[in-house]
Amino acid sequence: MITVTERILSEDVLKHIYKCEGDGRRATLDSIAGVLQINQDEASTLVSKMAAHDLLQLQGEEFHLTEAGQNYALQVIRAHRLWERYLADETGFDEAQWHTQAEHHEHHLSPDEIEALSARLGHPTHDPHGDPIPSANGQYMPHGGQPLTSLEPGQYARVVHIEDEPPIVYAQLVAEGLYPDIELRLKEISAERVQFFVGETEHLLAPIVARNISVRPLSPEEVTELTPAEPLSSLKIGETAQVVRLSPACRGPERRRFMDLGILPGTVIKAEMVSPSGDPTAYLIRRSLIGLRKEQADQIYITRDVVSNRP
Amino acid sequence: MTTSVKIPAGHNCATCPAHNLGNLTKLGINMENWDYVVALAGNPNTGKSTIFNALTGLRQHTGNWPGKTVTRAEGGFEFGGHRYKIVDLPGTYSLLSTSLDEEVARNFILFGQPDVTIIVADATRLERNLNLVLQVLEITDRAVVALNLMDEARRHGITVDERSLARDLGVPVIPTAARSRQGVPELLQAVNDVATGEYVCKPHRIKNEPPALKSAIRALVEQLEIAFPGLPNVRWVALRLLDGDQRIIEAVKRGELGDLTRDDPGQTNGDLVLQLQEVQHA
Amino acid sequence: MLNTGQMNPPDNALPNAAQDILDTANRLRWEVGNSAHEKIVETIYTDAARIADRAVVYPDTPPRFNLDRTIDHLVTSRIWGFPLMILLFTLVFWITIVGANYPSAFLSWLLLDEVYPLLKEGSAFIGLPWWLDGLLLDGMYLATAWVIAVMLPPMAIFFPLFTLLEDFGYLPRVAFNLDNIFKKSGAHGKQSLSMMMGFGCNAAGVVSTRVIDSPRERLIAIITNNFALCNGRWPTQILIATLFVGALVPAYLGGIISALAVVGVAMLGVLMSFAVSWSLSRTWLKGEASTFSLELPPYRPPRFWQTIYTSLIDRTIYVLWRAIVFALPAGAAIWLIANITIGGTSLAAYMVNFLNPLGLIFGLNGVILLAYVVAIPANEIVIPTVLMLTVLMTGASQYGAGAGVMFEASHQETMTLLQAGGWTLLTAVNLMLFSLLHNPCSTTIYTIYKETGSRRWTTVAALLPLVMGFAVTFIVAQVWRLFSLMG
Repeated sequence: MITVTERILSEDVLKHIYKCEGDGRRATLDSIAGVLQINQDEASTLVSKMAAHDLLQLQGEEFHLTEAGQNYALQVIRAHRLWERYLADETGFDEAQWHTQAEHHEHHLSPDEIEALSARLGHPTHDPHGDPIPSANGQYMPHGGQPLTSLEPGQYARVVHIEDEPPIVYAQLVAEGLYPDIELRLKEISAERVQFFVGETEHLLAPIVARNISVRPLSPEEVTELTPAEPLSSLKIGETAQVVRLSPACRGPERRRFMDLGILPGTVIKAEMVSPSGDPTAYLIRRSLIGLRKEQADQIYITRDVVSNRP
Repeated sequence: MTTSVKIPAGHNCATCPAHNLGNLTKLGINMENWDYVVALAGNPNTGKSTIFNALTGLRQHTGNWPGKTVTRAEGGFEFGGHRYKIVDLPGTYSLLSTSLDEEVARNFILFGQPDVTIIVADATRLERNLNLVLQVLEITDRAVVALNLMDEARRHGITVDERSLARDLGVPVIPTAARSRQGVPELLQAVNDVATGEYVCKPHRIKNEPPALKSAIRALVEQLEIAFPGLPNVRWVALRLLDGDQRIIEAVKRGELGDLTRDDPGQTNGDLVLQLQEVQHA
Repeated sequence: MLNTGQMNPPDNALPNAAQDILDTANRLRWEVGNSAHEKIVETIYTDAARIADRAVVYPDTPPRFNLDRTIDHLVTSRIWGFPLMILLFTLVFWITIVGANYPSAFLSWLLLDEVYPLLKEGSAFIGLPWWLDGLLLDGMYLATAWVIAVMLPPMAIFFPLFTLLEDFGYLPRVAFNLDNIFKKSGAHGKQSLSMMMGFGCNAAGVVSTRVIDSPRERLIAIITNNFALCNGRWPTQILIATLFVGALVPAYLGGIISALAVVGVAMLGVLMSFAVSWSLSRTWLKGEASTFSLELPPYRPPRFWQTIYTSLIDRTIYVLWRAIVFALPAGAAIWLIANITIGGTSLAAYMVNFLNPLGLIFGLNGVILLAYVVAIPANEIVIPTVLMLTVLMTGASQYGAGAGVMFEASHQETMTLLQAGGWTLLTAVNLMLFSLLHNPCSTTIYTIYKETGSRRWTTVAALLPLVMGFAVTFIVAQVWRLFSLMG
């Protein structure tokens, strides 16, 4: 039998080797011991046990996963990413906590629990960072993005993935307000800094940080965020505007609720009245009066150039 | 064209009830002493319960859906010599968002296969209400739209052309003001016509999906048509599978969809051919 | 083992066609991506808009006078919003309290003064053994009659009034006005409505949280509903405040001071509700999903008789029925503990003596604690049970009708009896606090279980107020004694 600690450690080894194989790095006894923060002897006991279970094999200095090991690794990754998706969609935890919590839960979910979680979330295909979630039989499609630093100045792109490791770099990207699905325009790139715009907001990042953002270049026709937009919360009582888009940060049930209420690109919205306690504000949406809190109205982007006049 | 023309009530009998007795029993509906079952769907605040009261009078009782904390009202009425049981579904804006209320309403229409689904729509806010109407019409082809609150619409100077609406939706549209019982007799007549197969609905089906979605739907529909020939809402099932809807995935796994098919072989093949043709012309 | 523990083998049991379909769907979902749902909704709305455009003609110019908006701007106005709200609800409570007196007096005359003696005669006539007569009539019948007489009239007035406001469309505006305050404690504005309903009956309040569609906020509203002082507890508060608090001041101020004391306790309940909501949303419920949505429907003149009928059927009768179901066994239990004797001493006396030292630590006494244990089905029977037990303990047999028979007495008699039972001002104050802060009645606990479907949250909802009640009464008692020592 194996202990829980051993299970956690071996699953971390599998993930490490899997990542190395994906990135073209070498997984060695050194790197394993380093990542797991254990000493060489412990690492070597661990890997030999795992080799006995036919999860990995040594080729020269390098460790490689067997097919069984690879499947296992994919299931751990699946659990991790599903848990992140769950935290993002259905809980009040903020993004800085997602990764750490998922690192814990990935080792404690049974296959049945993983399946139930996936079902509950509507079998999502991507985690909130844009990483693909492997399916139950280990299939997935890579996000296919390229590093932000590979764009040409002036080029538009959509963020497809934000690397959540190392945590310090990720925290900086979160603090900048960057997440998958937003569109950006690269202004300038030099050895010292990468300058780009998301809407009207300017961002400056060190290239080493910017490399953790993967993007898919957009052709001019594909760019939707060209229209200057402001949050619905900026609309004053009596003013009318048209929805341009919902913020990608608005996810899960909240996003679905908005769409059920008919808040979609093109919808005309009028700010009707505000609660005597200052919040929420009632908006006239498709002839219904809907109360929205300020944090919700912040996630709906509008333009005051109303195209259609339908009330 | 994308609407599939077919005669409902596939039990080789146009006037026979089309509901799914086995599934209704599972959903806690007792059909003893009743000929037809009518579901009542609609957005919240559309006067749905007023319609319910107008149809049933005091012949009603409330309880919960089996195993759920969602209120269910049941009642009954007689019309044209038939006894109708009517089930009030939870008021929802949509059937796509996996809330408990929506799941209950959706499952009843899908698995219970009511003989008629009355969709109550607010005439003063038609566009938002049509969102639900169109979703219901994706699932069932036996529906009547009660265009309620017509009195309020008139007061606001809003006019609704119910004939244009009926043409676009492919189901009877009855203007009502249930508060003053206006339009209730006509509604009863329309329900009766659809239930007995005198009126054959040609419900609107959603078109204009983006191309990527369209080809995905096409691929799934083909497979579903072969596995479950005669499934009345195959396109909708395909959409739900693409959306990762667990209840529908389970229904595929357990073969529950097979219980929903209309067992008229000639009819289903025609339907399949028609569907495939549509797809090729799309 | 390690390498199979996490593996998920393909489901071989499935028929091939089904598996093929699901595989295709999975593959296609990768191709369509996460935005499939949004694309579907957009497509539906596009069609809906096109069909609606063809069928609907809106007036060219909007009407000059829009009644709905006019009412809305008034009831949500910065100046008039809150005063109007307070006025309206004061009116509702006033009509309930004043209006309930008459039917309540009638019911209690009918059930206790007329029917009860008749039943006793009947039972003597057919020669029922004394224990069966006592168990059935003095125990079960009296408890149930009491619950009906006290509970039914206020609910039969309060619920229809509330439903009328609901049907008119005013209640969502209340939630809209108050949402910001509730938001600050991590709750939903609609909790104000379930709270208000809780002032009528906590079980009905718990059911009414169904209008809150966000799981986290709904759970908070369910757990904190008990802090709304319900109909069954108002009489206790009013009686004790009149006897003990009102007596502290000159007679002409007595009424107003005791009324303020009761309102103070109710306000404390509201504060507790906010405090507990705040801490729950930041601790246990931190991770639960939270969404907000509040539609403000158009105003509609309520259908008066329809509303009266349905609210009587749906709410009043429903709650009453459950209360009766729980009151019957409680009546039996109360009678039994007072009449089963071991060595000449009743079971109740043993229990009171056992609980007494514990009660005194909390500034209460053994009688009160035992009354709260046996009267768990309904707060309405706490005071009658307390009086009966006090007679039993003090031997003041000139009061009441014998062991196990609940009764009510005039204010003067009650006061004399309670003082004989060792009651002080501290006992009275702490009873008022404990009446606010203790476990919900069994009807409410059962309803919470039905609504949450969770043993865990039912336990939390039942025990949390009890723990708080013990903590608060303990602190009050200790501080009180410290000051009386110094004084």
